[in-house]
Amino acid sequence: MPGVLAVLEQRDGVVKRVSHEALAAARALADDLGCDVHGLLIGPPNTSGDGLGEYGADKVLASRDAELELYQASRYGQIAAEQVTAGGYDAVVLAATSLGKDLGPRIAARLGCPLASDVTSLTGTDGIVVTRPVFAGKANRRMKITTTPSVISVRTNAFAPGSHARPGVFEEISAGGEMKPSDARTVAVKAPENAALDVAEAGIVVSGGRGLKEAEHFKLVEDLAQALGGAVGASRAVVDAGWRPHSEQVGQTGKTVSPNLYVALGISGAIQHLAGMRTAKVIVAVNKDPDAPIFKVADYGVVGDLFEIVPRLIEEIKRAKEG
Amino acid sequence: MGKGGLIPGDFQPKLPLDKLILGEPLEEERIDVDVLFVGAGPAGLGGAIRLAQLVKQDNESGSGIGDVTIGVLEKAGVLGEHSLSGAVLNPRPFRELFPDLDDSEFPFRTRVEEEATYLLSPNRSRRLPTPPTMRNHGNFVASICEVVRWLGERAEEAGVDIFAGFPAGALRVAENHVIGVRTVASGLDRDGNPGANYMPPTDIGAKVTALAEGSRGLLTQSYLDWQGIRSENPQVYALGVKELWETKRPLDRVIHTMGWPLPRNAFGGSFMYPLEPKLVAFGLVVGLDYRDANLDVHELCQRMKLHPLIRPYLEGGEMIEWGAKTIPEGGYYSLPERRHGDGVVMLGDSAGFVDVPSLKGVHYAVQSGMHAAQAIFTALKHEDASAARLAAYDSLVNDCYLVHDLYRTRNVRLAFKDGFYAGAAKAGLMVLTGGRFPGGRIKMQADSQKPRTVAKCKVFAPDGELTFSKVDAVFKSGNVTRDTIPSHLIHADEVSPELAEFYSHMCPAAVYEAVDGELRVNAPNCVDCRATDVLGPRWTAREGGSGPAYKRM
Amino acid sequence: MKIAVCIKRVPDTETRIKISADGKSIDESGVKFVINPFDEYAVEEALKLREQADGEVVAVCLGSDASQETIRTALAMGADRGVLIKAEHVPEDPLVVARALAAELEQGGYDLILFGKLSIDNYDQAVGTMVAELLGLPSVSAITRLEVTDNRATAQREVEGGLEVIEFSLPAIVTAEKGLNEPRYPALRGIMLAKKKPLDIKDVELDAGGIEILGLSLPPDRKDGRIVGEGPEAVTALVDALRNEAKVI
Repeated sequence: MPGVLAVLEQRDGVVKRVSHEALAAARALADDLGCDVHGLLIGPPNTSGDGLGEYGADKVLASRDAELELYQASRYGQIAAEQVTAGGYDAVVLAATSLGKDLGPRIAARLGCPLASDVTSLTGTDGIVVTRPVFAGKANRRMKITTTPSVISVRTNAFAPGSHARPGVFEEISAGGEMKPSDARTVAVKAPENAALDVAEAGIVVSGGRGLKEAEHFKLVEDLAQALGGAVGASRAVVDAGWRPHSEQVGQTGKTVSPNLYVALGISGAIQHLAGMRTAKVIVAVNKDPDAPIFKVADYGVVGDLFEIVPRLIEEIKRAKEG
Repeated sequence: MGKGGLIPGDFQPKLPLDKLILGEPLEEERIDVDVLFVGAGPAGLGGAIRLAQLVKQDNESGSGIGDVTIGVLEKAGVLGEHSLSGAVLNPRPFRELFPDLDDSEFPFRTRVEEEATYLLSPNRSRRLPTPPTMRNHGNFVASICEVVRWLGERAEEAGVDIFAGFPAGALRVAENHVIGVRTVASGLDRDGNPGANYMPPTDIGAKVTALAEGSRGLLTQSYLDWQGIRSENPQVYALGVKELWETKRPLDRVIHTMGWPLPRNAFGGSFMYPLEPKLVAFGLVVGLDYRDANLDVHELCQRMKLHPLIRPYLEGGEMIEWGAKTIPEGGYYSLPERRHGDGVVMLGDSAGFVDVPSLKGVHYAVQSGMHAAQAIFTALKHEDASAARLAAYDSLVNDCYLVHDLYRTRNVRLAFKDGFYAGAAKAGLMVLTGGRFPGGRIKMQADSQKPRTVAKCKVFAPDGELTFSKVDAVFKSGNVTRDTIPSHLIHADEVSPELAEFYSHMCPAAVYEAVDGELRVNAPNCVDCRATDVLGPRWTAREGGSGPAYKRM
Repeated sequence: MKIAVCIKRVPDTETRIKISADGKSIDESGVKFVINPFDEYAVEEALKLREQADGEVVAVCLGSDASQETIRTALAMGADRGVLIKAEHVPEDPLVVARALAAELEQGGYDLILFGKLSIDNYDQAVGTMVAELLGLPSVSAITRLEVTDNRATAQREVEGGLEVIEFSLPAIVTAEKGLNEPRYPALRGIMLAKKKPLDIKDVELDAGGIEILGLSLPPDRKDGRIVGEGPEAVTALVDALRNEAKVI
């Protein structure tokens, strides 16, 4: 019976959390289509497929070889595409990670089938219909996939890993042929170059604005960022004033950030600032002006003197983290 | 501050002519064109297109002037992005420039069928008969951005080289002769040091340079100063703030208002034009000779939208663009005594070709460009770009409807220098008598010489839906100027708290702020409107592509 | 070295998105179009390689007539010639685009083909990699560094928590990520020269693909937030909400 193939990622032989999300999406789709989910695990010989039934896999196919420890585009692509053909799958689902965004198009091109990237929702009740953000997240496109099979990559954090009781039967499959000398070969994975957390990449951002009154008071912002394990951002006003470097500026003419948590301290919320952070998942604002526009976009607002509020916040967060 | 109040001119730096008029020889690595138009607005593009047509006709007729390279230099990154006008256009020069095209093929929006003029009080409006000069039947509502983009396409088709994103920063001269311009460097950091993307300035050599920079043109002012070219009255300016709205309620007419919210000693009014029934331009224009130092045109424009005449049209809609620009309002008596020199002519708003009583300038700009093209063509034919030869441009302009129109209304704007009601009465008579009343010339001071009184001002809190702060407005102008470029603005070394406050109200784009009595300059906010160049800190050209990015203003 | 750079005309990222009447596309009135910013990195890298090793840089674009302007931008930056594969509408199915480009690029004898990693309208991040698969060429996507010596190359790309180092031989395809370089602005002279550079226009038959657009919609407004409280006393409630409600700390 045809089914959905979830291509899974591992690091050091351990399946990554994003692949649990991919399995969740695959499971939901398979339930709509009335078919099974097979996980395809490509990795080194020690790669473990244990426990994937709980995340929704009916079967786990493992393609293991020492050369597959790092992501090798051509070999990964070949293994996945051949498996789709051999297994007659309806759809391939993978996480839209840097690996998934490279591998997805390869599988689709090899199979000559459509690709839907970075989808945030999908259903299979009336053919496969997906929704995905386009135009830098300023619009969502709904589209129907009209041919079979298809490749779908799912956006991180869009599908919560499920809790299922599927068999997750383990099966070793071919690890494909060796790579050609002309093939692109990943020779190493190095540690990232800059150690400082970039505001555009950070999961948590604490930004300060003019409400801090003086450059020295930015220490409060830094302390809160440190307590939360986040990066420091700044409004244009304080960057213009020379309090902070331009690399920290959040906003239309600075950086666009999309963290899980954005804390705005003493930032009134001009549109040009909002343009750079409004896609943050959770926004917290501390400002003494209850009419400040930042409160219109903030999920949680605290009105008052940030010099009283922030030290207390740092304290409580430290306590919460310890406790 | 003296007893008579604050005189802005006392604190205004002079233009640094040593940096704006460069006499050393052109760089080896320069670009040469035959004719260079500085500014891709209706004047520059109209002139470039006309010149290309004349060259083509001449070559086709066999008298063979040969290849003529025509360049247009524009500071906006994309044509039209720095162009802002009301606008209700008179199509006359378009018909002359494109005789084969029908009106419907021009990039105009709606033909004006209905119009209404109102006198406003804080909560009421009284309909007035539309003054004869303001009648627009047969004219077209248009977006100057769209008109400019369209003219740009026609110019490129005609073989004109358009360089968008390259501001002219200085005139290149040899003795009294203008021999080209130098563009502005880009990629400088805040301290003026070359950064990763540094691009040095480029010299552009030209046999004739046509300055079509728009209102308060930098090189035009420099040239006039340098050559000591005078006008009978100094040029005076108004500042216009304009918004574009997508509305829920359709508008079927052109509306003008006078009166509230302007104090009686200020000159100006608002306009509301439908580009489409539900795409409405709304704006307020105020003469920069206003007396109250804390008068704030942007804020008045915001307050106006709360008026019962305006509010119902805009409420529930969305403000999609915002912009600001000055307008030269002096008219006939403020025209420079000559608009030509050795190797140079001055066109459009730069020369002051605006008729305030009819609220028109765009068609004069195009027309002046076409006349300039004629004179330049003749100069090229004779291989003589001297002032004597280019004087033909002034004759053509003086003998056409352009200067005739301005002459007829020569004292109308000036009549308002002492307040609105006296002005309105006098202006009415002037129009009726074709300018013969009151005879002579009403003398005018430069805006910067008008004393200002400093009064306490009320704080206005915008709601973010119908009314907007200046910072939000700048966002809506599309301004994405690099934050780290050097400041292009020059202000006095010492700025008093009153002066800082005055600048902060005058500037519609929150470039100037008074923070704890001190002046703060947020140069990247600047939308090149030039209001403070008229009354305070001077404007110079900055990295190409900076400033607003108007799309349908 | 013969290099192709594939570029696309896209709405500016600052563009305010409005849905058109058909409910499936954006309303293009008042929208500014630009060369896709990621493609600028690709063009810049190609120009740098040509400066190193001589050769030719060809800008290839699938798009409508208006895309000629986009090609001129690449020519003004320094590309030698342009090819427009003319299509009224650029399909949303990346494989259809990839096939059309592959058919053109296959003929060219290119040593290296560059793309931007994605186009800021569709956000697929697929076409370059697909073309590589269709042509059977090695490829690396979203690179932040590239070094070429003779017919071997090394590229780096950022992955979660690290930097992959990839070696491959030419001919090959790479797609450019932000950070690869600082794209140059076209210089005045470049703009003048661009007009005289050759630009071939070719017709193309596009296949139907396997994707049907059902609709385009604006993302829902943010849910209304709430004021947790005033002053330092509100901190406990805030931390509690972040911890137990929003689950972000």
